[in-house]
Amino acid sequence: MIATLLAVEGETREVFEDINLFGKVVFYVLSFIATALFLWGSWQRITKYRRGRPAGRIRRPAAAPSSNGSAPTVADTVPSNGQPSKLHTVGTIAANSTVAKRDRSMGIAHFFIFWGFITLFIGTVILTIDEDIVKIATRQFGEERSFFKGVFYAIYSLVLDTMGFAALIALVYMAARRGLFHLPQLDYRRAEEPAGGYDRRQYQLGDQLFIGLLGLVLVTGFLHEGFRIRASGFPDFEIWSPVGWLIAKGVSGAGVTLAGSDTIRTVIWWVHAVLALSFVAYIPYSKAMHMLTDAANLVTHDPTTSRRLPAPDPAAGHLGYQTVEDFTWKELLDFDACTKCGRCHVVCPAAAAGAPLSPRDLILDLRQWASTSSGNVTLLDSERRPEPTGPLVTDGTLAGDVIRADTLWSCTTCMACVAACPVGIEHVPTIVELRRSLVEAGTMEPSLQDALQNIAQKGNSFGKSARQRAKWTKGLDFTITDARKEPVRYLWFVGDFASFDDRLQSLSQTFAQILHGAGVDFGILYDGERNAGNDVRRVGEEGLFEMLVEQNMEQLTAAEFDEIVTTDPHTLNTLRNEYPGFGLDKPVKHYTEVLADLIEAGELDVGALGSTATYHDPCYLARYNELTEAPRRVLRAIGCDVVEMPRNRDNTFCCGAGGGRIWMDDSGLTERPSENRIREAAELDVEMFVVACPKDFTMYTDAAKTTGHDASLRVVDVIELVAEALDRQPALGAAEI
Amino acid sequence: MRIAVLLKQVPDLVEEFEIDDAGTDIDREFLTFLLNEFDNQALEEALLIKDATGATVDVVALDDPEVDQALYTAIAKGADRAIKLTGANGDGWLSTHARAAVYAGWLTGESYDLVLTGVQAADDLDGQLAPMLGALLDVPHVSVVVGVEAADGTARIRQEFAGGAISELDVSLPAVVGVQAAGAEPRYAAIAKIRQAQQEGNVDEVAVDPPAAASGLTIRRMYPPEKSDRAEMLSGSEADVADRIIALLRERGLVQG
Ligand code: SF4
Ligand code: SF4
Repeated sequence: MIATLLAVEGETREVFEDINLFGKVVFYVLSFIATALFLWGSWQRITKYRRGRPAGRIRRPAAAPSSNGSAPTVADTVPSNGQPSKLHTVGTIAANSTVAKRDRSMGIAHFFIFWGFITLFIGTVILTIDEDIVKIATRQFGEERSFFKGVFYAIYSLVLDTMGFAALIALVYMAARRGLFHLPQLDYRRAEEPAGGYDRRQYQLGDQLFIGLLGLVLVTGFLHEGFRIRASGFPDFEIWSPVGWLIAKGVSGAGVTLAGSDTIRTVIWWVHAVLALSFVAYIPYSKAMHMLTDAANLVTHDPTTSRRLPAPDPAAGHLGYQTVEDFTWKELLDFDACTKCGRCHVVCPAAAAGAPLSPRDLILDLRQWASTSSGNVTLLDSERRPEPTGPLVTDGTLAGDVIRADTLWSCTTCMACVAACPVGIEHVPTIVELRRSLVEAGTMEPSLQDALQNIAQKGNSFGKSARQRAKWTKGLDFTITDARKEPVRYLWFVGDFASFDDRLQSLSQTFAQILHGAGVDFGILYDGERNAGNDVRRVGEEGLFEMLVEQNMEQLTAAEFDEIVTTDPHTLNTLRNEYPGFGLDKPVKHYTEVLADLIEAGELDVGALGSTATYHDPCYLARYNELTEAPRRVLRAIGCDVVEMPRNRDNTFCCGAGGGRIWMDDSGLTERPSENRIREAAELDVEMFVVACPKDFTMYTDAAKTTGHDASLRVVDVIELVAEALDRQPALGAAEI
Repeated sequence: MRIAVLLKQVPDLVEEFEIDDAGTDIDREFLTFLLNEFDNQALEEALLIKDATGATVDVVALDDPEVDQALYTAIAKGADRAIKLTGANGDGWLSTHARAAVYAGWLTGESYDLVLTGVQAADDLDGQLAPMLGALLDVPHVSVVVGVEAADGTARIRQEFAGGAISELDVSLPAVVGVQAAGAEPRYAAIAKIRQAQQEGNVDEVAVDPPAAASGLTIRRMYPPEKSDRAEMLSGSEADVADRIIALLRERGLVQG
């Protein structure tokens, strides 16, 4: 090996071999044009981003304040604030790990194309430095020098050949994936069919052109190498370009003469050069721009924006978004970052249920609309329609005409899209901003309007009297401490559903009995509590959310407690992540965390149930708050054999109730998300479908019935199971309300 | 075209009602109050006319409990002006007679083409406000209205009859209209807009004289409905109960055959 390497000392190839002065001039002119086109296109995009308002991504807001004293602080329980360091992000980008996250083979293929082209690009830069800087500079001082030779050249050749070849194989895989595999995520059909139809063939052509151009650049590069080696008569050192070497062997085997090879080589050189330069020029106008936008998007990505929604821009003078200027630059960058990979499209519960929403379509529509209204030129990257509807709307409302209201209302804010997106696009905050516009215009269905009015007037979506909020406690044989009057360790924030829903009140009673039985010091706010506002905020009713926060904070500030506990993941999310911005400085726990701790500390004397169960991760626990293990700890501790569904933890599937969907009509869906989920669980051989969210209990009890699985699959809350595991259950004696 | 919409606050029916010590009224101390839902329909109808013709819409209310909320909400929805007539509400409930007299007294000095109000309210189930106002102002009145199209000097009004029949009437203006339902679901006012209206505080308070006219009625006693013991509990197997129900329905002539 070393011997061969040494043998190549001083060996090199001529860069512009066979290209005369005229050719060189033409080449430099073409390079100049390509670079100019690249810069102009990029500048156009940047101009568009500059129309957006600040996104607060460069400097982070300070972490939530922590309380004094010995109580655990917010900082202790909030799992990191979710902000990876920039260095970490660069590592993620380099390793392509977001691409590989849920699709290994795709990740590997992308990795080789990514690094293959970066290597080839670096190779070209080295060549340019040697040719245009080192040689020219040294010529001024006498003898021309070059480092592009000998051992360096051999290693250079080997690396470039290998990486180029790997990239080529990966590209073939990518093309096959598109052409032969019929993957649902690459099916560009829209989730909703616009009246008058639409045409997305450009998307496909754009993909083909992208992969085709990259492939041709590689193929012509290798062919040129082969013909060069053949034309120069197989010099020994060229063995370090193995792909070229093999092609050269083939060429000579096919009887191409030395002179013939020389001519062909020149032609191919030009083809290769023109293709490569075209590619450079084409980048900012096409899907290829994701090479630049995605790196920028990942570096500026803030994974916390869904759980802690940004407040509306006070300077806007209106709620929500109406023009390009209302978006943040990060959102405008999001749109350009989308590669149409479709991962969000296939995990979206709304799209799966036949609702008129696909997060991919939403982003692409916004991209087309924002690009058109910013005068961006695009190449094979647009949807066409016979009528100027949707993304083609030029004068009309953004939320309503460009993006249909029913599209925006279909979102459950489950965050599956954000979690699936390999390039750091934040769909949920954008959807909520657009909903804010709908709320301001009063565009919503009557049932949602009723719910919001009820919450505004009575503090609960059920429209029941605010004074009846704690009525469920009447069925207990002890009195729960009024946390407004006495200090407690745990303040239990009960939430609307657990307080008012007939089917859930007994669960609330059971939880109270468990805590009481374990001697836990806890209290509630009685009729001082209001809906916490998580879903109100996600509906886009920011004014109402603020009102609820004010009302709740007034009560919380007056009460004395160490920690908050709640059974409702939605309530947990806003209390934990959004209320600190309004002054809440206490840790917020889910009841499964408290139960797991109590059981493990021996405070709850549980026996083994010995049943098989699968556990459904609520979106607002698993994806929003990375809280997946506490419920499983409880289940294991009470002797349940937990069998996982294929979609578990942060890949969980939404029940369909979040983001205010529970207040909207779902009769138009082809398959309710909750039914889809029950069918997934029914495939497993388990007795129980365990939930840890009050809304889930009602959603899945219904879904088990409508799918006919209610006899074989028992929908049960963790609370009930713990109560069953406590031998004391009969003594608890829950009274009826 | 100038439209006045009369708004009234009524107790929220989800609360538990109790009779006061005197036994002649409900105990209002712990109740919460909401805008009468029919007044909300009237407001919506007025705003629809505004959208269609550019009319101005003023909302007018007495100093009912929590009435400011209703007035600011109306502004947030697009009402041009909110007027609160103060000094007329006594301690307790104001009868519809008295209410009509106060409104009429104020409206006489104004020049509205249309006065819209809810066809009825929880405390005015016989829907007297609109007819009384029509009489006091000496202008035409139509009630149980489900649509108003206003033009110069006249309005085409759709009135609903039992069984869903609709008649179309032309009414010369000014007129008083009792609205049953607006042409569209009442619009939603975003809380941020209501709060903004609240901050701007543009409610015009106008002091009026307490009503002179009495209805001639006094409430002698108020009480929750007394339970009757005429209920018959059916027991037995499902089939027995079903047979008994069918027999009962036949007996009373509620089903044929
Ligand atoms: S949050 Fe969930 S429902 Fe909404 S677009 Fe994303 S995946 Fe679909
Ligand atoms: S938004 Fe993200 S996940 Fe969805 S298609 Fe675009 S790049 Fe893929």
